[in-house]
Amino acid sequence: MAKLRQRVGGFIPWAVLVILILVLPDLTRPTVATEVWVFAVLALAFNLLLGYTGLLSFGQATFFGTGAYTAGLLLIHQRVHPLAALAAAALAGGLVAAVIGYLCIRRIGLYFIMLTFAFNLMAYFIVYQASSITGGVDGLPGVPRPPVNLYVLTWDIRSGIAYYLFVSLIFLLCAIALKKVVDSPFGLVLQAIRENEARAAALGYNTAAFKRVAFIISGAFSGLAGALYGMLFGIVPIDTIYWVTSGNVVFMTLIGGTTSFFGPIVGAVFFIWLAETVSVRWERWPLIVGLVFVFVIFFFRGGFVEVWHRAYGLLARLTQRGQPKYGHSKD
Amino acid sequence: MDNLATTVAIQFFNGLVIGMIYALIGIGLTLILGLLDIPNFAHGALYALGAYLLLQLVGVTGSFWLGMLVAPVIVFTVSVILERFMIRPLYPAGSNYVLLFTFAVSVIVQELIIILWGPVGFSILPPQALAGSVDLGPFSYPRYHLFVMIASLAVILGLWLMLERTRYGAIMRAGIENKTMVSALGIDIYRLFTVGFGLGASLAALAGVLIAPIRGLMPYMGVDILPFAFVVVAVGGLGNVIGAIAAGLIIGVTQSLTTQFWPQGSTITIFGVMAIILLTRPQGLFGAR
Repeated sequence: MAKLRQRVGGFIPWAVLVILILVLPDLTRPTVATEVWVFAVLALAFNLLLGYTGLLSFGQATFFGTGAYTAGLLLIHQRVHPLAALAAAALAGGLVAAVIGYLCIRRIGLYFIMLTFAFNLMAYFIVYQASSITGGVDGLPGVPRPPVNLYVLTWDIRSGIAYYLFVSLIFLLCAIALKKVVDSPFGLVLQAIRENEARAAALGYNTAAFKRVAFIISGAFSGLAGALYGMLFGIVPIDTIYWVTSGNVVFMTLIGGTTSFFGPIVGAVFFIWLAETVSVRWERWPLIVGLVFVFVIFFFRGGFVEVWHRAYGLLARLTQRGQPKYGHSKD
Repeated sequence: MDNLATTVAIQFFNGLVIGMIYALIGIGLTLILGLLDIPNFAHGALYALGAYLLLQLVGVTGSFWLGMLVAPVIVFTVSVILERFMIRPLYPAGSNYVLLFTFAVSVIVQELIIILWGPVGFSILPPQALAGSVDLGPFSYPRYHLFVMIASLAVILGLWLMLERTRYGAIMRAGIENKTMVSALGIDIYRLFTVGFGLGASLAALAGVLIAPIRGLMPYMGVDILPFAFVVVAVGGLGNVIGAIAAGLIIGVTQSLTTQFWPQGSTITIFGVMAIILLTRPQGLFGAR
């Protein structure tokens, strides 16, 4: 019975997600709704490192941007199949993550954070300098959104809502894949490294190798998210590879909550809502976002996960009033 | 002396100048990193703030020298307040939140600079006494550039003497080494953090002040310099003044020379150098851990 309840309980967040996917286009513009799921993929990929492996990468935009530019260039110049562009973006993100991860994981803690950041800026400078290919600071315009050709049927994703459904579907597939990763024996080793790396190493695990693989997986999914982003706006802005994007991902993941698999998704929803609300009102909107960051850090630290737990705890206390569950209750 | 050799020599000197600037920023960063255990993402913003305060002070008082002295003091005061009232309450929450806070501060300061001084850059003249250039035999070199080299060297030397020869410097080094032991000896470790943060930030501001007449002022100058500061710390080793100077100069000269011969590749070359050092000496050039 308990097992059954556990299994049903495991499905609840997924059901909530599907409902959210279905109602979101009614609440906001399709572009904004699509952006939510793009960043949800990115935040989930990032949380594989921060929440599950205990690695704070401050350079996630490197892989996001790599994927965006890879897919953008392939779609513009080669007119490839959208799914091929996504696969190429994931591959490119993973490859870049393999190289950067190999270098950065040699250093731990603060150095790791600083190095991922420094490499992020390097990637930015490369894109900035190679303006004949990438469009430099103006971004890479004219990214097409060709139909998804699946032999038996062709899915036209040019309209906003069709692309929204396409991205939602990819998001769900990514979320399921990442959930499988964190629940796998591999994912459990990552969590062991997070809890106590020395002990995990003493058990015989090559912790550096595990961290490198986690980094590559995270980079691949981030690259995929980048490709979705470029196709959404028809342009790859240079912001996709800018360090502020890396910082924003850290923010949305922390505010959503790193201790829960679904937390970063909530953070992505909140962040996109915030950015969309303030950016249309004032050109200097990053100032407002920065102030909200500070507010959240001081007064809302546990993130939405903690709010959820508190609300849940309160609900449980209210419904169980008069019949204390544990014997040592004072009243 | 032929043309190429002169060009290389001038670029080498330029590299030393910018290298000393990197060293100043890097030492400030490594001090904060060693004491507070956070990579200060606001470091670049404080560097930019120093430069813009100089601009304002020169505009108001007309004196470059006064601005040069007062701008770092203002940044010191601001940072001490920031550390005491905003960062200190965050220590129990863990370093991730402190880091995120410095990131937010960096964004806020950058946006405030754009709001207060506008998105367009400024240039600022060196003081009258340092205008013109000095004849160094084979070539002449801007007097102000030489001043920056000597001034930053003097400041770093002063800091080094403070760290190595004074009681407070010894406490500071002990704080970088072992915080628990220092506070067990009855020293207020939090006050040490506050002073260290203020000192590190004012070094960044001083670097911003010194570079302003050479490179001019841009709202994004802080962000542009931050990766170099991080590279200096990563290459030089944690809390290591000598390492920061060496790393700063290596990076400055490499950047300057590649700018001459392969302008597009100068930034990439620096990260290449960093990658090689990390592959061969993961603990940094002079780092013990």
